[in-house]
Amino acid sequence: MSARALWPRSLAGQMALLVAIALFVAQAINFGLLLRERNRLRFEQIISPTVTRLVDTEDRLNSGVATESGHGHVRITAINPIRPGLEREPAVERAIAAALNEAGFHPSAVIAAVRPVHRDDRHAHDGARYASRLTRFGAVLDIAVAMPGQGWLVLHAPWPHDNSGLIWGLIAQTLVLYVVVLLPVLWVGRRISLPLKSLAGAARDFKPGSDQPLLAESGPADVREVTAAFNLLRQRVTAMLDEKDRMLGAIGHDLRTPLAALRVRIESVEDESDRTRMADTIDEMNRTLDDILSLARLGRPSEPPVDVDLSALVDAVVEDFRDLGENVSFEDGARLPMKLRPALMRRAVRNLIENAVKYGRRATVRLAPGAEAVEIIVSDAGPGIPPERLADVFDPFTRLETSRNRETGGIGLGLALARAIVADARGEIRLENRPEGGLDAIIRLPR
Amino acid sequence: MAIDEPMAEIPHLLLVDDERSIREPLAKYLEKQGFRVTQAGDAEAARTRLAAYAIDLVVLDIMMPGEDGLSLTRHIRETGDLPVILLTARSEETDRIVGLEMGADDYVVKPFSPRELAARIKVILRRAATGSRQHAPESGAYGFGDWVLKSGERTLVDRDGVSVPLSTGEYNLLLALVQRPRQVLTRDQLLDLTQGREAAAFDRAIDNQISRLRKKIELDPRNPEIIKTVWGGGYTLAAEVTRL
Repeated sequence: MSARALWPRSLAGQMALLVAIALFVAQAINFGLLLRERNRLRFEQIISPTVTRLVDTEDRLNSGVATESGHGHVRITAINPIRPGLEREPAVERAIAAALNEAGFHPSAVIAAVRPVHRDDRHAHDGARYASRLTRFGAVLDIAVAMPGQGWLVLHAPWPHDNSGLIWGLIAQTLVLYVVVLLPVLWVGRRISLPLKSLAGAARDFKPGSDQPLLAESGPADVREVTAAFNLLRQRVTAMLDEKDRMLGAIGHDLRTPLAALRVRIESVEDESDRTRMADTIDEMNRTLDDILSLARLGRPSEPPVDVDLSALVDAVVEDFRDLGENVSFEDGARLPMKLRPALMRRAVRNLIENAVKYGRRATVRLAPGAEAVEIIVSDAGPGIPPERLADVFDPFTRLETSRNRETGGIGLGLALARAIVADARGEIRLENRPEGGLDAIIRLPR
Repeated sequence: MAIDEPMAEIPHLLLVDDERSIREPLAKYLEKQGFRVTQAGDAEAARTRLAAYAIDLVVLDIMMPGEDGLSLTRHIRETGDLPVILLTARSEETDRIVGLEMGADDYVVKPFSPRELAARIKVILRRAATGSRQHAPESGAYGFGDWVLKSGERTLVDRDGVSVPLSTGEYNLLLALVQRPRQVLTRDQLLDLTQGREAAAFDRAIDNQISRLRKKIELDPRNPEIIKTVWGGGYTLAAEVTRL
């Protein structure tokens, strides 16, 4: 597992981990300082009494008061009494030598070695209290000083050897700190991250126009502020879209009214073919207007998706074309229930068939149900579209330059609307030139 | 004004629209078609004219400043049985549904062909004269067999709740049949009942659409149980119809 994988992704996790690391570092420094202080203290507790005793013994020896065997805790031996193989303490040796030098004595050797003691070890010449102290500390420091011409002066000092008690204490302390500090940190982290999480969800699921309840403001003030700002933003977006809808409605009304006036007036045109052409133009403008309004409104469809027999839907659209005398055929198939917005899907299919009839003389419509998707295939008998232009025709308001006459206007818009409707149903539209000629417009809808 | 129809009087229309650019040429056109036309620019003027004249039919714009067309339709329905055709600038389904629920007889969407409007006016006047006009609001749901026809949403729904879309012609035909269960309707009657709504059905043979409808709603289209052929007569809806 890499370090990145161990790094928590959530806010609370990161905060907790950082605090834990910081606490650990602080405790480690603390531990180091404590250990140093303890060493210094031990050092002082041992060096000064040892040197005092040595100097005292030496003084008594020199003045003839002391016996050859020693004085107090200090014994005198002829040979080095320290067992070889014990761990020596050079720092203690140097300090004792320096202190003796200062006092005017010049030992030829100073040896200090740590000897672990056990409860049953006897120090016959030491008092019972001293023995118990030695036992409690777990080790004893043997110090031997060789004085020229006098042999070795030997004494012991208790030596706190075992640090495990200190370590356990520190561990317990650290654990208590962790609990005391980390729990509030986790709590604060969650208080921040929970509202943030619901904010992220609300932003992701935000569908303009749907009446979602306002997000509840919770957590610390900063987070509440973000939530409140999001709620305001959502209200503004919804208000803007409402305004857009109202504006589009007004545009529709304002454009349709003159169109309607024009449509009434052309009835007085005497020439029959002129009149028909004018009426067609007005119808076309009206259809384009319808498409623009539908395209603009598509983000907030008023129609809910329902279970629809897709086969009957396509059949109904085809039948409407046939009623108008268009050359459109459809092979009726088995029922094909799908969840769709029927009026919009009718419009998408209608736009494809309209293009096929307009540019390809006739439309043959087929349904190809598959395991994962259903395809509605609208084939025409036209010249097709140059392969390099296939993608262009979906752009609204673009039209292939090969067909310049006015009647062919709006191919882009019709297709763009169809594509937007199909995309809204999580499907896709593609155009394919058939090798034998003609164009296939294919709506693919997931089941 | 040429009146070669055997109508006793010239039908008197009230045309209500705030847009002079539409109202005036339309009035002129309708007058040419043999109607007497009184104009009104808003709902208030329309109420005055309604009180002052014996109007036969009202052509009414929905979107007007002040009192709108829907509200005026409700007023007309409350006070009498005058036929109403709505003019709507919006192709929004809801407007039509509300309009028909208010008791309007028909609607045309702007921009409309004046010929079509004149044709619909004539159909409705003829129905009013012969008493075959539908008084009940057209919006609603009709249950028959395993099916529900929702006229507001113009959809046919099966027992499992799956919508079966109908073409405009099929829908108009089925609506006419469902609204007159167990009545024998001749082809001419059916043509007359269905042609007023949309121009689409004009040239379509009724028989063809009946067979298409049967394919959609009958268990066995060759032995129809719902839409039955009446020998020498026409068609009838044999199933029990319930208004839902």
